[in-house]
Amino acid sequence: MIWVETIINGVLYGGLYGLLGVGLALIVGVMRVVNLSHGEFIVLSAFIGVSLVGAVPWVHPLVLLLPVALIAFVLGFGLQAVLVNRVVTRPDPFAAILLTFGVAVVMRNLMVEVFGADPRNLPAGRLAHASAGMFGLHVGVLPLLILGLSVVLFTCLQLIITRTKFGRIVRATADHRDIVRLMGVNPGRVYNVVMGLSLALASVAGMLLAIRLSFTPYSGVERLLVAFEVVVLGGLGTFWGAMLGGITLGVAELVGLKFDTNAGPLYAHLLFLAGVLLRPNGLFRVRT
Amino acid sequence: MTLLEVRALDAFYGDFQALFGLSLDVEAGETVALIGANGAGKTTFLKCLVGLTSTKRGEIRFAGEPIAEQPAERISRLGLSLVPEGRLLFPSLTVEENLMMGALNQRPGSWTLARVYELFPILRERRRQKPEQLSGGQQHMVAIGRALMSNPKLLLCDEISLGLAPVVVDQIYESLGRIRAEGASIVLVEQDVKRAAGAADRVYCLLKGRVTLQGPARGMGLDQLSRAYFGA
Repeated sequence: MIWVETIINGVLYGGLYGLLGVGLALIVGVMRVVNLSHGEFIVLSAFIGVSLVGAVPWVHPLVLLLPVALIAFVLGFGLQAVLVNRVVTRPDPFAAILLTFGVAVVMRNLMVEVFGADPRNLPAGRLAHASAGMFGLHVGVLPLLILGLSVVLFTCLQLIITRTKFGRIVRATADHRDIVRLMGVNPGRVYNVVMGLSLALASVAGMLLAIRLSFTPYSGVERLLVAFEVVVLGGLGTFWGAMLGGITLGVAELVGLKFDTNAGPLYAHLLFLAGVLLRPNGLFRVRT
Repeated sequence: MTLLEVRALDAFYGDFQALFGLSLDVEAGETVALIGANGAGKTTFLKCLVGLTSTKRGEIRFAGEPIAEQPAERISRLGLSLVPEGRLLFPSLTVEENLMMGALNQRPGSWTLARVYELFPILRERRRQKPEQLSGGQQHMVAIGRALMSNPKLLLCDEISLGLAPVVVDQIYESLGRIRAEGASIVLVEQDVKRAAGAADRVYCLLKGRVTLQGPARGMGLDQLSRAYFGA
């Protein structure tokens, strides 16, 4: 029974990992570049969340997800418009990688300067420890909520990309960024919105993760690593693949933790390594 | 009225000069064929017109407005539309979504989704499919339809007969006649000299980035053309 619980909790936790990665999957899929500052923005959102909780303690942290996501959207839009668009059209993908790496380093140090290096947490009150019994199993309420929210956000993203006019423009820009210009579309503006969406999704994940896991200004690297593994496991640039990749990592981590209390994440990384070796195109071939 | 006026156009790829002082006119309602061998600069010329080649100098006026310095996004809204070489459809979009991309700049005019389906009825049947599921000829139809959806004053067609069976090329050229009837001017870039000259009012022949021959299509001798084409 304890194993079933572990696996269920891994699935719930994995939804959050999927959410960490899906923003990155969007960037990779649309712009064919990797945003190495993805992790730092996840951590920054958590800091913004903690600050907001401090400023308005009577508002529940989960309600604050919305303003934090909006702030992250604006930051992403700005990052793309001011910096990344300058290099993203170059044939050399290293330009964008180096640029976002630089952004990550600067952000990390600015966060130490502004917020200090102490580990922080996002307090979620009683919700953090509440659990629900189902068929004799104990499942955390918060993880359930988190998985539910992840599924809702994934569905929204999927619908936006496949069903709306904006989604059509995003897909067309991903296909041929020169040809959409002949239809009056400025690819840079599309990228601005896509980066905003990517970081808004990442910020939700960052806040939720901060309830479970303490973070410091240096946590961005670990967050990026998870996001990156999710994207690669899921198959580059696919959304539901990212979700399934996240769940796989979540289950691997919690099951690993049961075997070996010191090294849960190690098993997730080992699984990732095995995945890359055995299925280099991603575990799941879900095309968007 | 002169719709397109190009004067002394030079274009470059890095150190390589692809066009040398090219001048060309297209009158309203006219079909102009631009012929020449591989590497003559035909595609470069079209890219200059729509704003996809930025390293150029010279003057380009479209409907009276200078466009040489303008970005592609703006030029498309003036009514200049390109059917690119190799079609370059959006593989992630369905046929209908591809067509609707052309209507994004919302230029008023007679071309709508329904009219494009009337012109190419097979596309209506295939509208929910991805371009890769279509034959080469059908993909050309999507590319032409996509360009038409913006109701262009001038339609630029780059090698629309390339790699197609003769009977399909016939169909495509027949559609060009109906597009002209709606009032659009056409620039036809071709390697198939006979086909292009047959469909056009006037012909320009390009050789290594220079115009080697120009004149009315009617009465242009084949030997005269082939000399301009090969530079012999």
